[in-house]
Amino acid sequence: MLALQLLVNGLVTGCALGVVAISFGLIYATTKLFHVAHAGVYTLSGYLAWSLVGHGVPAIGAMLIAMAAAALLGGLIQGVLYAELERRRATHLVVLIASLGTLAVMQNVIAAVYTPNILQFPLPWSARMVTLGAVRLTWTQILTVVLCLGAFAGIMWFSHRTILGKQIRAVASNPFLAEITRLRPQRVYVTVVAIGSAVVALPGILVPLALGLQPYSGITPLLTATIAMIAGGIGSIGGSFLVAVGIAVLQNMSLLIMPGEWSIGVTFGIFIIFMLFRPTGLFKGR
Amino acid sequence: MDFFYSYIALAEIYVLLGLSTNLLVGIAGIFTVSQAAVFGVGAYIVAYCLMHDVTGFVPALLLAAAVCVVLNVLVTLPSLRVSGDYFVVTSFGIQLLATAVFVNWTAGTGGANGLPGIPSPDLFGLPIESSQQLVLLTTAGSALGCLAFWLIMRAPFGRLLRAIREDELAVAAAGKGVLRAKVSAAALAGAFAGSAGGIYATFLSFVDPSSFDLDASILLLTMVVVGGARTLAGSVIGPFLLLALPQLLSLIDIPTSIAASARQLIYGVLLIAFMLFRPQGLAGEKL
Repeated sequence: MLALQLLVNGLVTGCALGVVAISFGLIYATTKLFHVAHAGVYTLSGYLAWSLVGHGVPAIGAMLIAMAAAALLGGLIQGVLYAELERRRATHLVVLIASLGTLAVMQNVIAAVYTPNILQFPLPWSARMVTLGAVRLTWTQILTVVLCLGAFAGIMWFSHRTILGKQIRAVASNPFLAEITRLRPQRVYVTVVAIGSAVVALPGILVPLALGLQPYSGITPLLTATIAMIAGGIGSIGGSFLVAVGIAVLQNMSLLIMPGEWSIGVTFGIFIIFMLFRPTGLFKGR
Repeated sequence: MDFFYSYIALAEIYVLLGLSTNLLVGIAGIFTVSQAAVFGVGAYIVAYCLMHDVTGFVPALLLAAAVCVVLNVLVTLPSLRVSGDYFVVTSFGIQLLATAVFVNWTAGTGGANGLPGIPSPDLFGLPIESSQQLVLLTTAGSALGCLAFWLIMRAPFGRLLRAIREDELAVAAAGKGVLRAKVSAAALAGAFAGSAGGIYATFLSFVDPSSFDLDASILLLTMVVVGGARTLAGSVIGPFLLLALPQLLSLIDIPTSIAASARQLIYGVLLIAFMLFRPQGLAGEKL
């Protein structure tokens, strides 16, 4: 029965991880920048929601405000920092280092303001249990599955059915051609990073609802999500989501045979296997 | 006076690490945040050898360097074969995995408590105990490292690496082995970082995971960026400057609880500011 519970836990974590993977994939496929600071946006949105809940804002409101703030922050990073670097003709490496610097700034501002200790959300309902047959789920887990599947469906619909989504995919596939057809890539980039940041705020709040907040905890989920994005095929939303769920399930099932501290090893092992045998990913986007 | 010596010794160890990072980031143009992990592997190997009387200091140091070379070749080979951004993932992956091993493999690394009481080094039976002698050792080590770096920069291999950073496709079209050169750069960086780790372990006579985490890797990157990428002078200036920073910070009155994050915050700001306004650092060439 433990195996079944772990499987279900893996599926739940996988949904949250999948949303991180989609949001990062959206940004990476469009701007071609390895946006490491995304991990900082992820962490910061959780802390923001925590503060808002602490000040008596209802949970839904706190989540929406945190998502809006994340969008603003992401848009600023792209619109001010990356755009300025682009204007100065910075190389890929330089942008990457600046992004890492941004991550360091965000994490340490959080650590200085909120202390590096684990913070728990003061929401008693989040840990309440529901028993479904042989599995026990918390309300947080149910909420995670519902909201993250919703976000997945929303992004799928957005990028394939709306004008803005199509514009984003146009810029992603060929920025020069898009520029000729009067799309402004830089402006589209800001929109994409803002949308990606708002989306990543969702798991950024839901995951700490169960596990608590820590300032330096963003990099592991981002790395895992990036691996899912690569293994799923860059540019493929469904592929990244599926592989993210797969990785999370494997991580949880591996608890049957080894302690949880080594789950990063499992993830990294999957990455190496993919690099050796199928570097373009399972579901190649283009 | 002892404090001054330990500052010099530590800075010189970081010069070796700076050279290692500069070789990858500056010369070959490969982004890395895993140099601290390799540094740690070297430190733990030497610590283990000396504490269990397996070998003397010099063989242990050579062993550490060799293991780090093999490690770096094994992990960079698949990712560099594919694309630059895959190496970013590899690099973060090694760093996080190494931290997990350092913290959780209690039998080998002492876990979060670290390994105390590492014996002082010896050179072929000649003991090195006082701080002056240690400074001599680190000076010799970093001078050797600088000499090697300088020679590599002048050699055809160094020019090949720089050419790869400028235009990988052109180098490949000219019939040069791009992958081989990149993996060799990673291997060399591993040797530098591994031996720096070995000297560090005996210098402090204590190692724990906090010296080899992601923050340490970010510090190394900051040193290279501030000092100046691609030059020998840059890799020497950076460590000396940035290791003086904590002393400067202790002059300003900030609560100890946020001192560590304040320091890391400054590194982050420095990274962004230098990338925006002076990508060549204080004494480097344009990155």
